[in-house]
Amino acid sequence: MAEKLVPVVCPWCSVGCRFYAVSVNGYIRKIEFDYEHPTVNRGKLCPKGVASYQFINSPNRLKKPLKRVGEKGEGKFEEITWEEAYRIIAERIKEIKETYGPEAIAFLASEKITLEENYLVHKLSKAIGTNHLDFPGRYCQYSNSPARTAIFGSAAATNPFEDVAKAELIVIWGHNPAETAPVFFGQYIEKAVLDNGAEMVVIDPRGTRGHKYASLHLKPYPGTDLAIALAMLNVVISEELYDKEFVQERTTGFEELKEAVKDYTPEWAEKISGVPAEDIRKVARLIATKRTALFVNEGMNQHVNGFETALAIADLIAITGNIGKEGVWSGVFPGAQCGFCAAMTGIAPNKLPTGKLVTDEEARAELERLWGFKVPEWVGLDLTGMIREMGNKIRMMYIVGGNIAKSAPNSAWVREQLKKLDFLVVQDIFLTETAKYADIVLPAAAWFEKTGTAISAERRVQRTYMAANPPGEAKPDWLILVELAKELGLGEYFKYEHPDEILREINSVIPVFKGATPEYLAEHPEGCFFPCTEPGEGTKVLFKNGFKTADGKAHLQPVKWREPPEMPDDEYPLWLTNFRFVGQWHTGTMTFESPSLQKRWPEEYVMINPKDAERYGIKSGDLVKVETRRGSVLARAEVTEHVREGVIAMPNHWDINFLTLEVTHEKTKMAELKAVAARVKKVEE
Amino acid sequence: MSKKIFLDYKRCIGCKACEVACEMTHGEARIRVFEFPDLFTVPFNCRHCEKAPCLNVCPTGALFRDEDGAVAFDPLKCIGCLMCAVACPFGIPKLDEENKIMDKCDLCADRRAEGLLPACVSACPTEALKFGEINEVLWNREGKIVANLKSSAEKGEGEKAYIVL
Repeated sequence: MAEKLVPVVCPWCSVGCRFYAVSVNGYIRKIEFDYEHPTVNRGKLCPKGVASYQFINSPNRLKKPLKRVGEKGEGKFEEITWEEAYRIIAERIKEIKETYGPEAIAFLASEKITLEENYLVHKLSKAIGTNHLDFPGRYCQYSNSPARTAIFGSAAATNPFEDVAKAELIVIWGHNPAETAPVFFGQYIEKAVLDNGAEMVVIDPRGTRGHKYASLHLKPYPGTDLAIALAMLNVVISEELYDKEFVQERTTGFEELKEAVKDYTPEWAEKISGVPAEDIRKVARLIATKRTALFVNEGMNQHVNGFETALAIADLIAITGNIGKEGVWSGVFPGAQCGFCAAMTGIAPNKLPTGKLVTDEEARAELERLWGFKVPEWVGLDLTGMIREMGNKIRMMYIVGGNIAKSAPNSAWVREQLKKLDFLVVQDIFLTETAKYADIVLPAAAWFEKTGTAISAERRVQRTYMAANPPGEAKPDWLILVELAKELGLGEYFKYEHPDEILREINSVIPVFKGATPEYLAEHPEGCFFPCTEPGEGTKVLFKNGFKTADGKAHLQPVKWREPPEMPDDEYPLWLTNFRFVGQWHTGTMTFESPSLQKRWPEEYVMINPKDAERYGIKSGDLVKVETRRGSVLARAEVTEHVREGVIAMPNHWDINFLTLEVTHEKTKMAELKAVAARVKKVEE
Repeated sequence: MSKKIFLDYKRCIGCKACEVACEMTHGEARIRVFEFPDLFTVPFNCRHCEKAPCLNVCPTGALFRDEDGAVAFDPLKCIGCLMCAVACPFGIPKLDEENKIMDKCDLCADRRAEGLLPACVSACPTEALKFGEINEVLWNREGKIVANLKSSAEKGEGEKAYIVL
């Protein structure tokens, strides 16, 4: 019964914490902290990290392939063999291809599977002949990511976390890292503020645990952050506080930007956002005069107007010169440990794994040469587009590790749409709400049950190793994809016997990972920063000598005010937004199966300001019905000053998406997940 | 020489990593994060008092002081009378209902024996929990506070020093 210390990357958020899984005979007995290596977390872990093996050992894990025998959504299945499951899937794919063509089939990859596995989902979808490919990250960073790509040519984090401790100003905007990334908050933000004297500013409609360190707290109505960002640009430009040398030498489009924001005064923004004009001025002046680390996340991203907000914020970062040097930070901050694994293998309806576009003939020819089969040239549908077309253009879907019945906007609509598919395959570790709609469910190995590569929010590429055997007949996602490819007659393109072989192919196909070889990562548990074109520590600071645009300059984008798609009115007078618990994660698939977390963060509630509570006759603990035009949810009320008047807020791990809106941005396809019009009513018990 | 956990509660963000880490090690959490309506949070565990009243009232000698100065206990000697709880000024000792004995923090005796930090301290992402020779921890803290006072005075912003306190 020898104990083995297996080095692993944490399976939850994107900080990229490392620790050991203590493995005994293929089971994980406990975890142990890694204080020996120069890791990002310096040994530390949050409650989810500490409890991270509990869900792995849950008795509710899927152990055998399942075939649906009940109604869609009912959850009645019978166990079948792997051979039968592969045979059925291959037959249906063949049938649907013959009847409707490969463009009737859609694939969903995941921010929860490894880099290698995302790459294989991408390769399999293209080998089958479809570009309908996306991942749930569509609802995550797909405001900030395209905005920063438009301006800087690359969306990724500009600096390593260690630079945050050197910043003079920390701006936390629609982000709550004290709750969503505690190790990052404790090891980098607290050190900047408490030990190194940095100032901190928070922009959030709610009060949160990290806010006690802030000197200013701006509380906009949800979805109105754009007005504040535009007003900040207006202040910095009209008061001539921008970095003139930087703007002159390293940017284009300044005059257009200046013209676009000239009427967006702080007084104008105050009327829209409810934030005092003077506070907007103060923060704008701080950003312009201090070395700034600026963190945005879902409070900024998950809006239809999030793209415009992200553009305005990126413009602000550029004209204040807070980029391309040490001691600053900005970039996307994925929600999951492998968000970059999907994004950087081109999991999107218009991309190739090389990061180039499917419409780029030369890039396609290059990939066809490497892969040996033809790659479709048309642009596919995004995730919401796929849901909208289910039963119409989309007849079959193959979902790896995503729970869209709960995470996509307007859950009731999504579930009705899922029923319209001719055939649905879900590959997961639990029977999720989405899996209940599947025709075939395939039991996957969980994170600690396989070897693979993860990429953190600071672009750190790290290897995680197999510490436990999967339960029953469950298999790693990469192996399921390889075996299915064989059944489909595509075996010659999927000759892999170990994730190392897949990573070596990635090293040769995706230039930014060329140096992240299995050997280098095994020797360096702290990983390397992509772009790592040679084995070595990679690129720690981006844009020091130029941006990733064609001319090397930051392309400032003029931005106009854009209203959220739904605003409070007489019928639905409140703004509804949502937030996260430190001890819950995404749709709860894994945290609900972690007893130490579930008992501490057991249920949802709705935060309501005392003035609104009085207006509606609601007291803390009352059962209330929260309603929008899409549906309603019952929850207990918590009357608190920590949410501003006119706004109610609920955690997003339970049923919030029965209330959100499936309207999407025309370019980024981001849905309205954070600001909708709602009403609240006490329910008699 | 006495090793203790110092609670630098102003660094605490109430994430409860300490509670979960303790629970994973001992089955029940012996440290708890207390939350207040103003979002303030305070982690609290046994203070391992230098003149521990619990030690004096334990009728069976189950409680003892170990070589690192922790107030530890021998479960085989404990009769679950909870006289220690009566004497404790902080309400620390609790009843382990399954084993019918008292249960409290022993600064992870098993982990210390292996040269590891107590589980809660290992986990704490913000370093709100600090473990070591208590006077060493306190001298470090004093040094930091004085350095901060000096730098604040130089910048003419005396009130900022308060943040660290």
